[in-house]
Amino acid sequence: MKSTHILTALSLPLCATTGFSQAVEMKQEPKSQRPNIVIILGDDLGYSDLGCFGGEIKTPNFDALAKEGVRFNQFYTSASSSPTRSMLLSGVDTHLNGMGNMSEMTAPNQMGVPGYEGYLNNRVTTLPQLLKDAGYHTYMAGKWHMGKQPDQIPAARGFERDFALLDGAGSYWDMMNFSANTPKSTFTEDGRYLKSLPKNYYATKTYTDKMIGYIEANRADGKPFFAYMSHQAPHDPYHLPREWRNRHVGEYDKGWDVVRQERLQRQIEMGLVPKGTELAERMWFIPQASLLAPATKMIMGKKMELYAGLVENVDYHTGRLIDYLKKIGEYDNTIFIVFGDNGAEGTDLFAQIVGSAGTANYLFAAIAWSQTHPNAWGDPQSYVGYGPMWAQVSMTPFSQYKGNLAEGGIHNCLIVKGPVVKRPAGSINGGFMHVADIMPTLLEVAGASYPKTVNGQEPPPLIGKSWVKMLAGEEESPRSGQDYMAWEIFGNRAVRQGDWKLIWQYKPFGTGDWQLFNLATDLSERHDLATQQPEKVKSLVALWDKYVQDNKVILPDRVIWEQQEKRLPDRYPVVDGFPPLISQKQFIPPANMMADPKP
Amino acid sequence: MNNKIKSLHLGIAILAFTIICPMFASAQVPPRFYWKSLAGGQAVPVIFQSLNANANPLDPSSFIPSDAQVEANVATVGYAIMLPMFDRTLTLAILEPMGRVSGTTTIAGKSYNEDATGFGDPTLEVGYNLIGPKAIKNIPDMLRYEPKFSLDLIVDIAFPIGEYDNDQSLNLGQNRWYGRVGAPIVWQIGPWVPGRRTTLELFPSVWFYSDNTDFVGQTLSTDPLFHLEAHLTRDITEHFWASFDTTWKAGGKASLDGVEGSSLNTLAVGITLGYQINDNLSLTAGYMTTVNDSDPGDMQMDAFRISFTYGWHPMVQGMNRLKSE
Repeated sequence: MKSTHILTALSLPLCATTGFSQAVEMKQEPKSQRPNIVIILGDDLGYSDLGCFGGEIKTPNFDALAKEGVRFNQFYTSASSSPTRSMLLSGVDTHLNGMGNMSEMTAPNQMGVPGYEGYLNNRVTTLPQLLKDAGYHTYMAGKWHMGKQPDQIPAARGFERDFALLDGAGSYWDMMNFSANTPKSTFTEDGRYLKSLPKNYYATKTYTDKMIGYIEANRADGKPFFAYMSHQAPHDPYHLPREWRNRHVGEYDKGWDVVRQERLQRQIEMGLVPKGTELAERMWFIPQASLLAPATKMIMGKKMELYAGLVENVDYHTGRLIDYLKKIGEYDNTIFIVFGDNGAEGTDLFAQIVGSAGTANYLFAAIAWSQTHPNAWGDPQSYVGYGPMWAQVSMTPFSQYKGNLAEGGIHNCLIVKGPVVKRPAGSINGGFMHVADIMPTLLEVAGASYPKTVNGQEPPPLIGKSWVKMLAGEEESPRSGQDYMAWEIFGNRAVRQGDWKLIWQYKPFGTGDWQLFNLATDLSERHDLATQQPEKVKSLVALWDKYVQDNKVILPDRVIWEQQEKRLPDRYPVVDGFPPLISQKQFIPPANMMADPKP
Repeated sequence: MNNKIKSLHLGIAILAFTIICPMFASAQVPPRFYWKSLAGGQAVPVIFQSLNANANPLDPSSFIPSDAQVEANVATVGYAIMLPMFDRTLTLAILEPMGRVSGTTTIAGKSYNEDATGFGDPTLEVGYNLIGPKAIKNIPDMLRYEPKFSLDLIVDIAFPIGEYDNDQSLNLGQNRWYGRVGAPIVWQIGPWVPGRRTTLELFPSVWFYSDNTDFVGQTLSTDPLFHLEAHLTRDITEHFWASFDTTWKAGGKASLDGVEGSSLNTLAVGITLGYQINDNLSLTAGYMTTVNDSDPGDMQMDAFRISFTYGWHPMVQGMNRLKSE
């Protein structure tokens, strides 16, 4: 207890320099008991993309981590980028930590309301800050997306070294961004805003180089490190070096329906999903791939080829980081946490930003993003996203994708490997887990604790549960059957308790009413049980109401879904092969009944 | 002796007229001609050439008078089709030159004038791709086409059925079999993105000639001729491109009843501009002139060339119809 007080006192001046006055309790432990931490975050990475989660994409380095560690098949994030990141680094619900909505989507009635600042607010502290105070080096490379002002950037939120893209996305090759009003991405390096990017910049490579450099620069002092590899990839635009673009030529011409089936089959064989799991219904506005013309299949398939190359490129650079850690002898003492920040991206972000002809953004896109030919895809100034059809593939077997609260928006892959993992190597765990759990888990691992005050005020509570016991094999899940999780983003809402999930989404992705699914038997959310289970609906709505109250949720009065129902075709159940007219095969009569015409 | 000299001069004058004929009879194709297209695709090239030379472009022997003037206006119409064979591209083409050619030279104070009009010898070309992308059998293949490093083997053979008058030395037809074996190379430099494509194209070939035994009562023989074409092409816009061209010819020494000319060593440079007018029609315009022609006995030649190529494929036509609906 005495040593704790001493360290707390020592930590105070450091906290003061960063504008925080939190009290950090730290247990002093020998270095060998304090593992390094590497978080590898894939931006819009799909649940089934990695090889170890059923993907055909070649990810040997991630697969190796999975083989030595544990895969988790019940891991949840937010349905969108910055909200997930905010919970990862604060452990606090988005509606309290400043990311109640994405800054790009804040509704009029949320403007100026605490919890909806659009950046990680100063009522919360951060994981890197607490780890730094606990004696860790804290490094970040990659996408930040939680504020651009000097007091909001990585250096101000606990990172000792950083090379960060502050925007939500942008070119992988340069500082080009998407709109006339925001033509340039903003980057920081070690707390300074960059005027230009390093020579030979390519996002994934440069981020990895920087991270290795940070670790190398300080490794002599023997302190453990926290490395946040927040990759921009595989978020669109799919920019990647030429040598990574042609690794799957023609492989996806078979279409999304086939690839989804293949992934599901592998997932069943791996034990990631139960036997008998159905694929979610193909989105009603996506065509049956087998009916498409070869040229269309090829062009659509090429988008997925690029995406696969992008994921493989991330895997390759992850391999570089792993090799480096092995080389310096730190690999075995490092916890790796690998996951995607939300569902795969099925929305045409570029079209949303560009708008229509005659606008400044449209003109900007025509000039700055002019490389539209398929052979230029991947180059600077090209913009390719793979669309909802492949996003559903990435989210096999789930329904929908990023931005939505169906499983395809929030259910993601997770690999944990490292000295705290005592579960069988290569095993799969079905614990009920959330991105906000990472903060309490890592605080426990590092011997730190959540402060009682931040800037003189009591901080919002952590919503996560530590995984330490679960990783040690002492329990199967950090949550009991009575624990629940809830989500609200863009006005859509969901709550899950045990096997039951209640979801309300705007039409046409939802019904504009509560739907109820039993995920134990219906992982793909095909069978709405709301009318059959009114009591269950009632009890989950009560939990939702509690969530709203506890977290000061303000439902937005304007949402991105407003025009969706008009823009998309009417929704009918999707039945492949209906009507038979469009997919009937040529009739071939019995050979012995064929005859020439009579004279 | 005088008769011998006269005979020699006459022979040289004849050579001055005749050896130029293969130059235009076997019309050079424009840069980017050996890019591959969809199997089953067909094309009709029409190549206009206007050529002037002050001497025998193939035989710049020092004793040839430099006042020979040959003018040729020739159109070559062709037909080409690409087919898959053993998963690689087979190209069949036929080229038929036609037009008029006239020449004047003065030998020993005597002026010789000749002209000829009509059809030349048709040339059949068979090309087979040995290295490079596989045959383009469907639209996805076509969309994926990039030549990278592509090498073909081509064989040309000209049939001696063109207009020929054995009373004069200047003809469109050659009255002999001739042809060539070559290996056109397309070497992609950088990305294959319309607007940014760059290629280095090399076309080494060797021409072979049989004897013409009825050449103004004499026998014309020609040694094999080495011919190297090179084009550095670059897109200027998505549909507009330019090429720096050079051609070198060596060998090809002609002899008339044993009277020998000299081997050639002719270097010419030029430029070509190309424009893809629409999915079916492309246009090129080019100019080429000799450069190693400063000595009095050197051959001087220049040529303008305009080509139109109309290409079609039922699948592409069908797609275009769908686009218009």
